Amino acid sequence: MKADPHGVLTGTHFIDGDHACCEGALAAGARFAAGYPITPSTEVVERFAARVPTVGGSFIQMEDELAASIALQGGVWGGAKAFTVTSGPGFSLMMEHIGYAAMTETPCVFVDVQRGGPSTGLPTLPAQADMMQARWGSHGDYEIIALCPNSPQECFDLTIKAFNLAEEFRVPVMFMMDEVVGHMTEKVVIPRADEIEVVPRKHTKKSVENYLPYGTNGDMVPEMAHAGEGYKFHVTGLTHDERGYPNMTPQTQDKLVRRLQNKIRSAEDRICLFEEDRLEDADVVVVSYGITSRVAQRAIDMGRSRGLKVGKLRLITAWPFPEKKIAELAGRVKAFVVPELNLGQMVREVERAAAGKAKTFAVSHAGGGVHNPEEILNAIVEANRC
Amino acid sequence: MIVTPSLGDQVAKGRVSIVVERCKACGFCVEFCPTHVLALSSAFNSKGYHPPHVVHPEKCSGCDLCGMYCPDFAIYGTKAADAKKEAAAQKATGGEK
Repeated sequence: MKADPHGVLTGTHFIDGDHACCEGALAAGARFAAGYPITPSTEVVERFAARVPTVGGSFIQMEDELAASIALQGGVWGGAKAFTVTSGPGFSLMMEHIGYAAMTETPCVFVDVQRGGPSTGLPTLPAQADMMQARWGSHGDYEIIALCPNSPQECFDLTIKAFNLAEEFRVPVMFMMDEVVGHMTEKVVIPRADEIEVVPRKHTKKSVENYLPYGTNGDMVPEMAHAGEGYKFHVTGLTHDERGYPNMTPQTQDKLVRRLQNKIRSAEDRICLFEEDRLEDADVVVVSYGITSRVAQRAIDMGRSRGLKVGKLRLITAWPFPEKKIAELAGRVKAFVVPELNLGQMVREVERAAAGKAKTFAVSHAGGGVHNPEEILNAIVEANRC
Repeated sequence: MIVTPSLGDQVAKGRVSIVVERCKACGFCVEFCPTHVLALSSAFNSKGYHPPHVVHPEKCSGCDLCGMYCPDFAIYGTKAADAKKEAAAQKATGGEK
């Protein structure tokens, strides 16, 4: 399906990542957002609140992040495409409802513009220290999808992607920006509406009598009912059967929770996006994401100009983690270098996926700024020696 | 709107600029200013908050500690040398930034 032209601000713009994210959401068809604005994500909803009434939607500022993250799910079940925007402290408060969205299979997008933490940390400065929280923050077994843009242009493009994945898999999608990407102003090209592919909600075509809210047709993703058309459905965070009603037995639990995991894991190859460069002859691969990937690019170029065989693997999808790609590379490279604005999060995944076949070097940074390319280069040199 | 009080004849090492509409009146800048330049004003911004105002411009050292503490990019300090450039830039853009 093509995008609704009303929400698409076609043209060439000079805007920051936050604004680009907002335009991406509008282009993807988001017509409702609930939020509790927090630096450095405020500009996303500020723009959304101003823009969305002109395209027939609404924004509501809630009393806190718990309320925002559940109001947005009310919006989704009412029929809207919806999202919320926050930063680390608010993201922590939203965790319970991210689990609720995963359990009830509510398609929605959580934008987290990461800043330094823990707690209120560095409100106006960057970090990438919520990566593990995005994956594991809520209790219980579940799978989510997380995307990491590294430019305002990607904030636009990948926000659309995030909404599409949310609808396709009926899963909450984490959009993991960071303060630098959010506040960096660059050229953003917004194409015509007929050039933007959006995934519509998977509405059931079954009759009211035959509809099972959590019944599947082989692809593990159930169909939703359109609110107001007479379908009866029940949404609960309790373990539920195909009818959507609580059924708390080990058998129902096993069937439900395994499906929640498998619907994402079985589609890993399709969901995992990454950018690679000069991996053919690489001895050392720099694995990075978000703003760090742009600093890493400089370090890789410096390494190449010194004759080092360095390659780039940029994670666009952080979760599910592209472990097959890392495992394949681990068999033919000497080492991975993983720079990130935290004290070691995604590097653990790289190490796990490499399974001892290649060494892993972390280049950690506590946040508040970005790496000096020299630090990454030093790690590349060290990794090349092993 | 950015409010940058004029220093008149007084000699200060710096000055602060306040982006009134971004402020949520948390009071960090007032609390942490080492030379007590600021106080919360009785004026409102459009969101209904009381932004700070400068009560002792002559004491400002331009250290930008207020800018470091501000969670909303609503205030910043500039050293006197930079302040001239800042004033020229603001004049050129009509005070908007």
